Amino acid sequence: MKVLALHPDKCTGCLRCELACSYMQTGMYQPAKSVIRVSPFEGYTSYAPYTCTQCAEGWCMTACPVGAIQISAVGAKDVLDDKCVGCKLCTIACPYGTMFFDADRYKAYKCNLCDGAPACAEACPTQAITFEDVPQRDWIGDFAAQRSAYVLAREVA
Amino acid sequence: MPARHLVIGGGTAGLNAIRTIREEDGGASEITLVSAERPYSRMVLPYYLGETISESHVFTATPASLAAWKVKTLIGRKATTLDTGARALTLDDGSTVEYDDCLIATGSRAARAPVPGADGPGVHSFWTLDEARKVIADVKPGSRVVMVGAGFISFTILNAILARGAALTIVEVAPRILPRMVDETCAGIVADWLRKHGVTIRAGASLTKIEEQKGKRKLSFKSGAPIVADAVIMATGIRTNLEWLKGSGVEMAQDGQGGVIVDDHLRTTVPTVYAAGDVARGRNLVTGAAEVHAIEPTAQEHGRVAGANMAGRDVAYRGSLLMNIVEVCHLDVASFGQWDDTGAEVFTGVRPARSQYRKLLFRGGRLTGAMICGPSDDIWTTNDVGILKGLVQTGVDLSPWKRHLAADPFDVKPAFMATRTTAALLPQTVLGRPSHSPSLPQTVATR
Repeated sequence: MKVLALHPDKCTGCLRCELACSYMQTGMYQPAKSVIRVSPFEGYTSYAPYTCTQCAEGWCMTACPVGAIQISAVGAKDVLDDKCVGCKLCTIACPYGTMFFDADRYKAYKCNLCDGAPACAEACPTQAITFEDVPQRDWIGDFAAQRSAYVLAREVA
Repeated sequence: MPARHLVIGGGTAGLNAIRTIREEDGGASEITLVSAERPYSRMVLPYYLGETISESHVFTATPASLAAWKVKTLIGRKATTLDTGARALTLDDGSTVEYDDCLIATGSRAARAPVPGADGPGVHSFWTLDEARKVIADVKPGSRVVMVGAGFISFTILNAILARGAALTIVEVAPRILPRMVDETCAGIVADWLRKHGVTIRAGASLTKIEEQKGKRKLSFKSGAPIVADAVIMATGIRTNLEWLKGSGVEMAQDGQGGVIVDDHLRTTVPTVYAAGDVARGRNLVTGAAEVHAIEPTAQEHGRVAGANMAGRDVAYRGSLLMNIVEVCHLDVASFGQWDDTGAEVFTGVRPARSQYRKLLFRGGRLTGAMICGPSDDIWTTNDVGILKGLVQTGVDLSPWKRHLAADPFDVKPAFMATRTTAALLPQTVLGRPSHSPSLPQTVATR
């Protein structure tokens, strides 16, 4: 299955992915409502995008008491708005922190791979986000460990 | 002859077991469901009360869907005696059901405070669908409603009571609200928030009796003035539905109130009998202790693990994580794991102006509990709710980050990423395989 591959060393922190994502997901250009989030490192000199891995367990999907989260045709765990009651169980079940809640619509929402044409990957000018048929993995861990080592060392000193 | 599975209880645990058996066997076995009620989700009853969903939305299975799953249903029947030697269950109409293995998933029921008048007219519990219907009939615009008990259950229906246009007073015997879900600091933030939204809170109030007075309810207390209300909702704890199991030989703790003893496969002391959900004394993921976690996510995981094992798989359960989330008037409050561990190393952070609170509890380098509180508009701009769950669930070593988190308990995301928590999480599944969509397995429908 095609997944969102994240390449943090190519990310410039321009946040075009967040704008594109929030528009696709909520119809608004509001990065605060994006389900892909860019994190700053090293005092805002490097950045990493982060979003749902569409994990094998699907903790959000199995937690939903009314079956409102299902696997879509492109393999994404997708929230069915007319079934979601807004109980937020999925948000505490997801151990990745990639389940969100839209207080305006009173619905949980998440990355659904834009039904096979992810807007974030399309919007990224540096190909830090690509949509590829590769195994899912922890794209951010090594980068984050390297980029935070200096901060931690300074705090200890 | 195909295996005969018997599922006793049609709640979250029972239905997840049934679905999992069908995912595993594609319809090859016989399944009988005995359930006192038509299956519905207790979690969504507050939204029915608040009129954001219709009653039909609460049902988790229909006669048609159960038939499609090849489940024989005995709805409206209660279990009365389990003969584990003969492998037969007797029901309240005197009939018996024979089985090869069975699942006890009879859940729990609401308990009321032991005071005179607690069972009188206009006094409600909010636990079953039937009870929800009665509350709906009794709570109208302008109604004065008193909720007895300021715990998780009463907070899940708080928004709905307000949405129905009622005036709400919460009384709690403990000195503060949410005594078993959050700590004192967090409870203070929530109480302030609720008062700002027009909710009256009376903590440290010991209810002594409820009397009928001119068609209304008069609640008296050990000290302080009585309260007159149109409707009273008692959310004063739950009891396991296990009385019927006594004498079966299936071992229970504390005469059933401590749950059925189970092993890591959710198997009871009788090998052909499993237990799941509110009635199962399962493993705590963080501490390893055996205890009842009467929460929806535990019922779901228990049900699936028990169902997989009944279907012939060999699935060991790692244990369940205590967790809760509740939102009152757009303030979100969640807690994970051992948030009240007095032996833990604790880092807290408060932003009083924004009603935000964080609490991180450590045993050595491991995050064993966490609490998060803040307005919905703030909380959901971060990844933090789930990230805290992931850190507690994986138990990754956060030693290098403790100094940083002590200084700023709000900054958990870089710690989550840099400790490669995602890498630890990706291989984790409850059943040792990818999960299926919750819809009907096609293999059953087409067989």
